[in-house]
Amino acid sequence: MGKTGCWASLAIAAILTGCGRSGPNSESVRTPAVNSGSTTPPISDRAEVVTKSGVEMVYLPAGEFIMGSDKGNPDEAPPHRVRLSAFLIDKYEVTHAMFSKAQLPNPSHWRDNPKKPVERVRWRDAKQYCNERSLLEGLRACYNEKTADLDCDYAANGYRLPTEAEWEYACRAGAEEPYDFGPAEKLRQHGWFADNGDQKTHLVGEKKPNRWGLFDLYGNVSEWCEDVYSPTYYRESPPVDPQGPPNPGKDVKRVMRGGSWKASADMCRASFRLGERTGDTDACFYTDYCGFRCVRRARPEELSELQKIR
Amino acid sequence: MTLRNGLLTLLNLLSSTRFSSVCLATVLFATTAAASDAGASFREQLSRLPFKIAFESYINDNWEIFVMDADGSNPVNLTQTPKEHEHYPQVSPDGTRICFLEDEGEGRDTIRSLYVMDADGQHRKKLVDHAREPFWCPDGKAIGFLPQEYPKFNVLDYYTTGMSFYELSTGKIEPHPNSTNLHHLYNPCFAPNGKWIVATVHAGMGVSHGMMLIEAHGDKIINLKIPGCRPCFSPDGKQIAWGPGDHEIAAAPINLDSDEPLVGERRVRIQDATNKIYHVDWSPDSRFLCLSRGPNGKGDLSKPGTFQSACEIVGVHAAGWNLCAVSAERDGILDLLHATEADFTMLTTNGFSNKESAWLWPNRKQENKQ
Repeated sequence: MGKTGCWASLAIAAILTGCGRSGPNSESVRTPAVNSGSTTPPISDRAEVVTKSGVEMVYLPAGEFIMGSDKGNPDEAPPHRVRLSAFLIDKYEVTHAMFSKAQLPNPSHWRDNPKKPVERVRWRDAKQYCNERSLLEGLRACYNEKTADLDCDYAANGYRLPTEAEWEYACRAGAEEPYDFGPAEKLRQHGWFADNGDQKTHLVGEKKPNRWGLFDLYGNVSEWCEDVYSPTYYRESPPVDPQGPPNPGKDVKRVMRGGSWKASADMCRASFRLGERTGDTDACFYTDYCGFRCVRRARPEELSELQKIR
Repeated sequence: MTLRNGLLTLLNLLSSTRFSSVCLATVLFATTAAASDAGASFREQLSRLPFKIAFESYINDNWEIFVMDADGSNPVNLTQTPKEHEHYPQVSPDGTRICFLEDEGEGRDTIRSLYVMDADGQHRKKLVDHAREPFWCPDGKAIGFLPQEYPKFNVLDYYTTGMSFYELSTGKIEPHPNSTNLHHLYNPCFAPNGKWIVATVHAGMGVSHGMMLIEAHGDKIINLKIPGCRPCFSPDGKQIAWGPGDHEIAAAPINLDSDEPLVGERRVRIQDATNKIYHVDWSPDSRFLCLSRGPNGKGDLSKPGTFQSACEIVGVHAAGWNLCAVSAERDGILDLLHATEADFTMLTTNGFSNKESAWLWPNRKQENKQ
């Protein structure tokens, strides 16, 4: 698994200094005008950590960005400014090796290498994994397993799926263009998608990371988000830590992001949105492009306990 | 063509083929029995059968195992354990015992165990913890089961690894000779000739999903290459029934005496475009099928002892599900949405998550001795 090795000199102390400055919990927030541009913190404010169970994650500082696009599909509009609290996000998509530690039934089709991402994972199974990983590390599980949708307690310190806003913030890494690396022609260097994916998943971390140092956000497997999918949500989305629209109760789709090995380059854009059925009533969920990665909140006192990567 | 002429024609046809005398006798019995049922309603035909049907049902916040007559009358709760959750009954080949699963605990700490009891519910005994989806060996001396993949509970049906057999006389557990290569199997069923075990596999054994024929005493594995899940051999060993999808149950011929059995063309196709239909099981005379039927759903977590997943899975509450019986002798498509009482019979109507039926021939031992 390739490592960039950059930002290695960054100290946790620096992270902690930065992380309280724009968190929505510590100050009142006004909604900035969309045309004032992204104010995502500098890339140097990010840091890499390894969790107790050995998972590599990247700390993303709190910040603002322009979510959505008026140049994409109708559901990506209007572009709107969003402010997010700091959070940790998996550096890689959840792999077979990671999934097996949680002792859950692995539904994946391509299991020939433990470093491949899991797929055919239902939304609920992904959340179950988050809870198991939380328990493995002695964290408070975010998801209430006694509720039909495994309701999320965002105040808990355990793992959960990213919100759609967190996912796009992580993918954009401060960029306002469709891809953080530049023109679509360079997508082959950054992700596995229909043009180069050879009709299958690939080992995570083989392509170049984005500017935050996150791998496979473009392609390989699409990634579940916590949010209910609504094509009109951006018209009413709150400006701070949006968590998606309420569950309509029927025909619910959840957000998937990032495209996959079978997606077009267009579907791998940072703002591209996909609504996918969760497969709760389907014993055999055959969507072999559905994967995920986890996030967790990043409060200073919690970060200080995490091991700094070399 | 008269009935007599029809039988003679059938006999001539059969005697010109490689069918055995046993097969001839079976066909004669079935044909004669069908002829004697002429004029009787389908429910009346079922009521004349010497068989019963065991099944799981969720009643008063509890999973229980019931037995009823073949026409759905006289249901009896065999377990009556308000705090223990029993399901997945499987009847021994001689009809004297029932093995089943019981869940204890809650959530990820649930322990699913294999039990056995007499067919009247007496002499209940726990055999193995962390066991899934048991199936009887044809001689009735051992019960096969699929060990749970990890100690922590998960409701998904393919959460298994390997295959083992519990020897009833000694209590000894023996792994299948090819156990290390068996992974993520579910719903196994032993062939009556003792040669094969058929099971569904999901995300394991090198396939995405499939139905595998596993050599009972060797290491041969054959992918039957038929879509769907939950296969079940007819007791006469000549047919296989399974669910090609959520809304169909099919039956087709199979030659289990072959070293490379193949599934023939689907002879029977029972369909329901609205409801899910699952859990097919053959009557002891291979003439009837029992199946579960009900609306799509993902369970109801407010009910104790249940989990959330696709509602056909063991331990998931299936609201509105009932059992029905159909004839296995009628070729072609039977659309349950437009069928009449002449074609099929609802055996339960309370909708209490009635699933996983298993036919039972209570006095089979005595009848065979006579």
